[in-house]
Amino acid sequence: MEIPYTVKPRPDTGLYNAKLGIWLFLASEVMLFGALFSSYVLLRVGAVPGTWSMGLMDIMVGAGNTMVLIASSMFIVLAWAQLKQGNLAGYKKWKWATIACAVLFLVVKWSYEWPTKFKHYDIWLSSTVELHKKLEQGYHLVAEKHARESHQEGEDAGSHGGLAKHYVEEEIFTKRFFKEPSGDSHKAFDVAWEQGTLALSGHINSYEEAQINVRISGWKADAGVSEVDAEKTLARFGAGDPAKLRKQGGLLLEKTDYDTAKRVEYALGQAGFTLALGVAGYTEKTKEEEGAAWVWRTKRVAEDIGGQPRVRSIIVSLDHSHHHEIKVETKHIKRLSAFEPKHSTFFGIYYTITGLHAAHVFGGIIVMLYNMLPIGLSMWHKDRERFTNRIETFGLFWHFVDLVWIFLFPILYIL
Amino acid sequence: MGDSHDSPDFLQYLIRLFYMVGGVLVAGTLITVLIDVLFAFPLPVAALIGLLIALVKAGFVVAVFMHYKWDKKLIMITWTMVLTFIFFAGMMGLIMWAEGDHPQVRENILYRDELSAFWIVAAALFGLALPVSFTVLTIKQLSQPAPVEAAAPSAKRAAKKTKR
Repeated sequence: MEIPYTVKPRPDTGLYNAKLGIWLFLASEVMLFGALFSSYVLLRVGAVPGTWSMGLMDIMVGAGNTMVLIASSMFIVLAWAQLKQGNLAGYKKWKWATIACAVLFLVVKWSYEWPTKFKHYDIWLSSTVELHKKLEQGYHLVAEKHARESHQEGEDAGSHGGLAKHYVEEEIFTKRFFKEPSGDSHKAFDVAWEQGTLALSGHINSYEEAQINVRISGWKADAGVSEVDAEKTLARFGAGDPAKLRKQGGLLLEKTDYDTAKRVEYALGQAGFTLALGVAGYTEKTKEEEGAAWVWRTKRVAEDIGGQPRVRSIIVSLDHSHHHEIKVETKHIKRLSAFEPKHSTFFGIYYTITGLHAAHVFGGIIVMLYNMLPIGLSMWHKDRERFTNRIETFGLFWHFVDLVWIFLFPILYIL
Repeated sequence: MGDSHDSPDFLQYLIRLFYMVGGVLVAGTLITVLIDVLFAFPLPVAALIGLLIALVKAGFVVAVFMHYKWDKKLIMITWTMVLTFIFFAGMMGLIMWAEGDHPQVRENILYRDELSAFWIVAAALFGLALPVSFTVLTIKQLSQPAPVEAAAPSAKRAAKKTKR
């Protein structure tokens, strides 16, 4: 069936059909993003002061990305103008520039903006005393230096005892949650300081992980596995005398790592054995080492192994402390979270909106590539005007994606 | 774009305009960043300035890049976007109304900021504007006689039938 009005405007609407179609689609997109925008505003307005991480975004990166998207929006309309003049080579030139900008935008998001957040942690402690101790440990050096410098400038350096507290309030808490100091920021900080809801914020450099002893404590004959098979399974995991181990129990593996221990526990559990895992000692691992977890979570860190935690302590370098490392014991950790969606309401909606926008950019790149391939270009050789209109309608979508970002930029990076 | 705007001169004029708008958009972004870096406005002011600049930028994109300046006589686009905006504003109105209605404790007495029923009804009507107007417009459109060109193929077929 021939699609009507691909080139000529339909008399009653005054538009060719595709254009009306794309405008209706854009209207539905306004609804979609509008819902998310209003959710964001609602959550932002309703947030308790001192809980919305507004100062974490790198505004220069955001501005750079905004300009990249603006450029791509301009290039696509120039590509369309070239088609209007019947210049396919010119169209291709501008179209490749558009695609390059779109890809650059995604690369910055994908390899810089999001991943750096996934590697950044907040650690909440269960004891206020411990929190104050860790902050003092982490910040006293840099706080003293900071005080000396501001003293030289003739400012009031504050009393010596509260230097670290003062520094944390000024350089970390206020900048992250308020940007500028005010009565509100002071009040919110005092509450967070007194109640211990302040988080240690920084990067995990290394951690002490358990070395696990795996012990056989018994074997059930009624588990449906024959003695021979059970002993074969034991031998697979390096038992010297499987028959003796099965009958009397004993140490199977000594000082093995967590993954191996868990794998053995599962496999031998299937063969009817009951095992006891115990922590023999702890070994320090840096995060670059093989087998290190990509994203740490509270449950993983605090997992109970024979009465002791999987990770005894983590070594953290706190933000704005000039890479001064402190050691945080697992038993004091209440919650630990990277800047991932479940970290807080802010990151939840941040990833939802930027993710949906990035999905639109990605979809746009696919359509643009299609229009550059021979299969897409064949339309040009069949019906020039129709192809030009096709690029125009794609351009309308692309400008909308740019529009969304124009509003996202001030909302996410400045509000 | 209407057919009258396809002349080469007009295209050259458009291309110059595209470059200019690109420049305006980049300048707008730079101003936003500069204001954020140089001045310490309180949050509502910063939000207002940021959103106003964004609104101006958006206006340029819609008017020039999306050719709306030359398409605005096309009533379908205008209606679609205006109604969508009204719908969105209505939804925001309902949300802000709900958000403004938190009971507050002042000196141990629970206060509730009373909002007049007018704003509630207005927000609800705003929110209903899109679905209702679209239904009305569609019914109106369907009840009109079919346009001449659209009817042409079937008319030809009918003519052929009568010949046979």
